[in-house]
Amino acid sequence: MAAAEPGRFFCTAGRGLEPFLAQEVRARLGATEVECVSGKVFFRAAAAPGELRKLRSGERLFLLLKKHSPLPVSGNRGKMLNEIKGLVIGEPKYWLDIISVWRKLHGHEGETDDVSQENALALKRKSEEETNTTSKRQKMEQVRAVLSEECQVEAGETCGAPERMSSQECWIESKTSSEFPSKGSGENPAVNEKLSFSFRVSCRCSGVIAKILTSQEVGRAIGITLAKQCGWHADLRDPDLEIFVHLNDVQSVVGIPLFRLPLANREYIKTAGLRSTVAWAMASLAEISAGALVLDPMCGLGTILLEAAKEWPEACYWGADISDSQLEGADGNIRTAGLMDKIELLKTSVKALPLPSESFDSVISDIPFGKKFKTTNDAQLLPDILQEMERQRDDRKDQHLTFVLPVIARVLRVGGTLVLLLSQELHRRVDGLTKCAGGDSAEASADSNSRAASSVDGNSSSSAQGGGESILSRCFGSLVPEGVHAVSLGKTDAFIHKYRKVSAPGN
Amino acid sequence: MKLLTHNLLSSHVPGLRPGGGFPLRIEAAEVRVRPVPFNAAFVSRLVPRLRWDALREAAESLGHPSELPPEPLPDYEANEEFLRRLHHVLLEVEVLEGSLQCPDSGRRFPISRGVPNMLLTEEEA
Repeated sequence: MAAAEPGRFFCTAGRGLEPFLAQEVRARLGATEVECVSGKVFFRAAAAPGELRKLRSGERLFLLLKKHSPLPVSGNRGKMLNEIKGLVIGEPKYWLDIISVWRKLHGHEGETDDVSQENALALKRKSEEETNTTSKRQKMEQVRAVLSEECQVEAGETCGAPERMSSQECWIESKTSSEFPSKGSGENPAVNEKLSFSFRVSCRCSGVIAKILTSQEVGRAIGITLAKQCGWHADLRDPDLEIFVHLNDVQSVVGIPLFRLPLANREYIKTAGLRSTVAWAMASLAEISAGALVLDPMCGLGTILLEAAKEWPEACYWGADISDSQLEGADGNIRTAGLMDKIELLKTSVKALPLPSESFDSVISDIPFGKKFKTTNDAQLLPDILQEMERQRDDRKDQHLTFVLPVIARVLRVGGTLVLLLSQELHRRVDGLTKCAGGDSAEASADSNSRAASSVDGNSSSSAQGGGESILSRCFGSLVPEGVHAVSLGKTDAFIHKYRKVSAPGN
Repeated sequence: MKLLTHNLLSSHVPGLRPGGGFPLRIEAAEVRVRPVPFNAAFVSRLVPRLRWDALREAAESLGHPSELPPEPLPDYEANEEFLRRLHHVLLEVEVLEGSLQCPDSGRRFPISRGVPNMLLTEEEA
């Protein structure tokens, strides 16, 4: 492969968020050559780090160095290691080019004060790192936790990254001048002087290759060779450069992360509740336009509202919760994010919202489940929500029943959007209800929205176009399903359901 | 609690007459005025959604009597002075401590640290 392409990137994404990320890089960065694979989105874009940093649905962003088909697997470990080394390392000159590209991007990062911001972040939230969801998740998290602890200890030092680098220059010079006489020196001597770093190889092998070589073995082999060949020294704790190598059955990818912390770590979120990327994805489905009134009736720590208000600031947001501690957390988050102008909080139950009918343009909510489930007073009621929905027609007048979703539907204006995050169990039950409707739920006609690609099954079919009104829409009171997106929350899976209110209940 | 929020809130104790429980009477113990960046288009878009009389009443009860006309001016989109006044009342005036009283039942909903507590007790609900 030719020299590094400065404009080629890939970004990792939580499972199910790849289509959101693909759409986002197109919309935000004008990206081309967008390619989605499981857990990653590849793209080409002419974007400065400041713009790249704004990506909201991705986890970690990498400069793409190499992308090849999967390596041929043979039983010969030595041969395979050699092939891997050949693939990753290649010509020494190759790394010169890479480093100069990386310098440019990284230098920019320093200028925009991103580095110190990131360190401040690390201080604030070492335990809240979100990681990519793989089978190694837990292990990775331990590693990350250690890493961010180090960031904490060394925060002051790392802020002075440029100084640290310059102190290494003498060491670098002796090495590089002899081994790398080529390129770069003519056009940018300054870059050439700094051609050495401390580095770390992070390797992840899965699929067939993982049966023959472990990630550690491959990482070590690459590391030793790079150190020898380029004169870099390994630093597992706080390297200047990380080299990521992902080898699996689909492809072999080499990249270097552009930012120290994952994109999913938001500098404006003090205490994370729901995964920020999922919260953003939900808000992106809600079609929030300028002047819109948006409600999260079970806001928890307010993550969805924060993500929405940061991205679509020309709207008014309300968050409601019944828990004082959640509301306090949300309040702290709103203040930290400087969004007091945009987001108002209410203490109220979703069962009885003191808000007028037809008043909100969008309602977005994470229907509590899992851990949260046990801590809210509403918890025991929630599994019953759907049963209630089934009975709703007959029991509409029964004041003792709690109809959470009809209440939500009530405050939504006709034409407004409802975006819910449902647990697997709630999803299945909603699913069952839709299937019962029969007829129109067979195959979803491809939605014009490209995100519909991620719809998990035929439930995205719109009953507006089908013949029969689904039970679901009747239960909800004129809510029409507009897509289901399966997403990962790490240990659990969840489903984003989108609905549109097409008429006032009773019509 | 901003007055924009107040404009949406109603009491929801059971047994009120239809359309009752609105507007809530504000009993303010602590009010803060905090500048918010003005955006004419944004405020303009809110106008048709407001319950104007309730907003005026609320503004008056907080000591901003003359800021709003009896009804939105006909060409309000182009009237920056009007929009600025409205912006101030809707978004810059905040009740931090106090309570909201249901006009029909007399039930009080406390406001603490700017957050109205509209939660009904189990007996009420």
